[in-house]
Amino acid sequence: MSAPVDYLPIIMQLLVALGFVALTMGITHLIGPKRKTTDVKLTAFESGIEVIGNARQPFSIKYFVVAILFVLFDVEVIFMYPWAVNFREFGLNGLIEMFIFMGTLLLGFIYVIKKKALEWD
Amino acid sequence: MSTLIVISILAIVVLYLGLFKAKQALLPISVLGLVAALALAIMEWNSNAAPIFSGMMHFDNFAVAFSSICIITTILVFLLSKNYFEKISDNVAEYYTLILFALSGIIVMVSYHNLSMLFVGLEIMSVSLYILAGIKRKDFASNEAALKYFLMGAFSTGFLLFGIALIYGASKSFDLAVIAQYVIDRPTGIDPIFYVGLVLMIVGLCFKVGAAPFHFWTPDVYEGAPTLITAFMSTVVKIAGFAAFLRLFSICFAPLQDFWMPTLLVITILTLFVGNITALYQTNFKRMLAFSSISHAGYMLFAIVALGAASTNAIFIYAAAYAVSSITAFAVLMLVKAKTGSENFEDFNGLAKSNPFLAFALTVAMLSFAGIPLTAGFIGKFFVFNAALAQYHTWLVAIAVVNAIIGVFYYFKVIVAMYFKDNQTKQIATPAYFNFVLGVSLIITLVLGIYPSFITNLF
Amino acid sequence: MGLLSILIFVPLLFGLTILLLPKKYSQSYKYFTVAVAVIQLAITAYLYCQFQTGAAFTGVNQLDSYQFKEYLPWIRLDIGKFGALQIDYLLGVDGFSIPLLFLSALVMLIAALSSWEIKENHKGYFSLMMLLNTAIMGVFCALDIFLFYVFYELMLLPLYFLIGIWGGVRREYAAIKFFLYTLLGSVFMLLVIAGLYFSVIDPLTGNHTFNMVHMMNPQNYVPDGIFSFLAHQDILGIPARLLGFIVVFIAFAIKVPIVPFHTWLPDAHVEAPTPISIILAGVLLKVGGYGIIRIAYSIFPDVALNLSFYIGLLGVISILYGAMVALAQTDLKRLIAYSSVSHMGFVLLGLASLTSEGISGAMMQMISHGFLSVMLFFIVGVVYNRVHDRYIYNFRGLATHMPIYTGFVMIAFFASLGLPGFSAFIAEAFSLIGAFNSESVNGLIPRWMAILGSFGILLGAAYLLWTLQRMFFGQLRVKEENWLIKLKDLNVREILTLVPLAFFAILLGVIPSLVFNIINTSVNQFILLFT
Repeated sequence: MSAPVDYLPIIMQLLVALGFVALTMGITHLIGPKRKTTDVKLTAFESGIEVIGNARQPFSIKYFVVAILFVLFDVEVIFMYPWAVNFREFGLNGLIEMFIFMGTLLLGFIYVIKKKALEWD
Repeated sequence: MSTLIVISILAIVVLYLGLFKAKQALLPISVLGLVAALALAIMEWNSNAAPIFSGMMHFDNFAVAFSSICIITTILVFLLSKNYFEKISDNVAEYYTLILFALSGIIVMVSYHNLSMLFVGLEIMSVSLYILAGIKRKDFASNEAALKYFLMGAFSTGFLLFGIALIYGASKSFDLAVIAQYVIDRPTGIDPIFYVGLVLMIVGLCFKVGAAPFHFWTPDVYEGAPTLITAFMSTVVKIAGFAAFLRLFSICFAPLQDFWMPTLLVITILTLFVGNITALYQTNFKRMLAFSSISHAGYMLFAIVALGAASTNAIFIYAAAYAVSSITAFAVLMLVKAKTGSENFEDFNGLAKSNPFLAFALTVAMLSFAGIPLTAGFIGKFFVFNAALAQYHTWLVAIAVVNAIIGVFYYFKVIVAMYFKDNQTKQIATPAYFNFVLGVSLIITLVLGIYPSFITNLF
Repeated sequence: MGLLSILIFVPLLFGLTILLLPKKYSQSYKYFTVAVAVIQLAITAYLYCQFQTGAAFTGVNQLDSYQFKEYLPWIRLDIGKFGALQIDYLLGVDGFSIPLLFLSALVMLIAALSSWEIKENHKGYFSLMMLLNTAIMGVFCALDIFLFYVFYELMLLPLYFLIGIWGGVRREYAAIKFFLYTLLGSVFMLLVIAGLYFSVIDPLTGNHTFNMVHMMNPQNYVPDGIFSFLAHQDILGIPARLLGFIVVFIAFAIKVPIVPFHTWLPDAHVEAPTPISIILAGVLLKVGGYGIIRIAYSIFPDVALNLSFYIGLLGVISILYGAMVALAQTDLKRLIAYSSVSHMGFVLLGLASLTSEGISGAMMQMISHGFLSVMLFFIVGVVYNRVHDRYIYNFRGLATHMPIYTGFVMIAFFASLGLPGFSAFIAEAFSLIGAFNSESVNGLIPRWMAILGSFGILLGAAYLLWTLQRMFFGQLRVKEENWLIKLKDLNVREILTLVPLAFFAILLGVIPSLVFNIINTSVNQFILLFT
């Protein structure tokens, strides 16, 4: 049976987390240098040429796709660490299960290649 | 259990079929695979299965029944998809795959025996649906639907997860049996965070089933998503949500009924009124179905509010009736939309003259929605109300009855359009698959309405 | 399969046949309908002759004494602590239902014969009519209240479509109004039915039951049931049994219809095609009266006894209000619709008296009104079919132009206003005698109600005779010249339709014992419920 008092550390942690954010924001605001700015100063510097159009344009998401695929496979590989540590305890079943897991990953990888998601053009 | 494996493998097989340009084989193989999965599920009926995978899942009769109904509905949805996906996207195989993945998540959701599995199942289903809702990439409404669904879904999952965490904090377990034992062992003095967790889980689950006041995403998502995906979402997904809801509450939280009942009662009443009254003002048939699906969520919540031995049966019958009627409604909607290009009530004008069978099937579906006797919907409503009356929720039932009458009003709008209004429309060609699905739904609706003993004694 | 099941499901079978037959046979559908009605008439006539009376065949609250009983288990559901849900397919008739069955079969035959005017979509029309026929027969035979409810609701749908598709200009409005009114009443009734179910157990099996005969016996109620006689439970501060009675009563009062729940009736009648008006007036209104006797009164006798004064008052109001509104009508069909309201008020007045005369009179009034209103609506249909107009002032002096027609009109009108020698006289007289005697026999309703009720007859004479004078006597004059050619006298089919109705109206006026003998045992048993 846990009393409410047992959750005090969690509340403390919450307070510290919130406090840190509030504190840093407050302090930077207080001690940071203050400059007067104008609109001209805030525009992008394009070597004196007038800025044309908006910088917020659609761009190719190729890189995004590659990045997310990397993260995906990378995260999956993390599973192998705890598995490797407990390899002996798992025995043959563990090995088979890991093969199934890797097989599924491989199927996904083949799919990605076949869909030409990794080709840049 | 083998059902889940079959469906998962089937999803990958279908994905690869798409990869190797075997487009013609997609539909037959998906349907055959699902039929096999269904057969495997039914074979486990009454096998007195024990929890498997260290108590992660439990394929009991409850799971078998709800898996079966979800699989059957999915098969019906698939049969309607002939030539539908090809029109809106090149990636046809991905459609089937995603629906199958969602279904595998649903199987997990109806058979979990551990809160972590509930979460995993819910996420597998939700992530697939986020993509499906937005699969018309060029369509603004579809994009909006996907984004809205994703944000709301993520939000609600947060609630659910937080609730699970708090319940874990109190009971020190994810296992349903252990949590149930925790509740039983402590007639008084349950940790307060357990209650907080319970409420958060109610919020999370209500988001998923689209109960008011957590329903805001429903109409836009249902309207924006491709019609077939809407059909899938408003039937299979909703049923799975209720199955998960019911499973959790009947196993774990039944002794705490005094605590959560008032909360759920308010949600139920709100859901009924919001769903029905807004549905009354719709001119768009699809949007009307979206709101009516909210009100049907309200009726199904009834059985959870009046949790008892009859609840499972009541929800099961209601869900079956609701699923087949929805499928019919969406099927006819797809045909009408393909013909006229919009989804308003006026587009149904004169349908009784040009396509008597379509009109008749839709009429029976609407009557079933409205709960008119001799349709499955009436039996469903009757059992749900009976379960509530058995616990003396007279007020609640009276409110529900008022809502049922409001429902009649808007369900009859489309019947009026089909039968009483004239329009010089030409005949709509109904593909054989559609006739099959409509016929099956029609027969199920009428048979359950006339002789419900087929499924009333399952549990 | 017993005769009652055959009676109920023959029309359904033929309805399906009609649905499956190809369109080119569409001219034959009406003969199917007539054939079904003839078969049903034969069956009910046979049942009527075979029907036995006497102490062993009382019916009402004695399940064993119902006749032609049929029983099949229908829905079973195990619901934990409440035992098993038990819904049965249970049919049977007693003195209250058998005359109404015969009446329904006859009315359906007349309706089928008058369906010749239907011009479009025969398939839909006749199959819906068959469905309606099934539901009507089912309502009068069902002894399981759930089965009763299913049939009761099943009547609504075909009527909704029949009015909505084949009706007049404002048919959509009339149809949905009719539907929502009736549904509103009946859905709340469903709640009472569920409540009754939880309070009543089958003495044989110990399960909760929907058997309405068991619901009539106080000893079958569980002590703490919501509708238990002894527990005196409250719902929302109102005694549960009182509330239950009121809900059920209103559900059927809408159907009868009783002022102030009557507003759907003129709309529905005016918009409905003639055969549907005939069915509405001839059978549907009787379902309301039958429901009040069979369910509201029999299951809640204690409440009915206490509320007699108010029920009698409602009856008197219906009689007078209906008659006065009828006086003001210029549309012939609307006039007859309101006269129905007035005539059905006698049923309520007779019932409220709870005397043997009053209840016999009420039953007789239902049967008599069944024949007469059908006749009246058919008569309206005759004019309307020919010139598509029903405005009373557009016709004058038809007596010389259409003599046979005028003859039948006079029979129908005189019978309706309660001239001695016709069934309506017997019926109204018995109702009023019952109401008059009530004060001295059981003191339930005061004498002035009977006196006011007899004013209703006077008003009835006024509007009917006035109409007769306006439309049929005087110089021949119609609105348009060519109407005179269109207004042909009755053809053979129409005469054949009207003759049996007139025959029964006179027969029952001369030999009312044909009905009284049959219902008497049940009426006496019924009165025992209230002592």
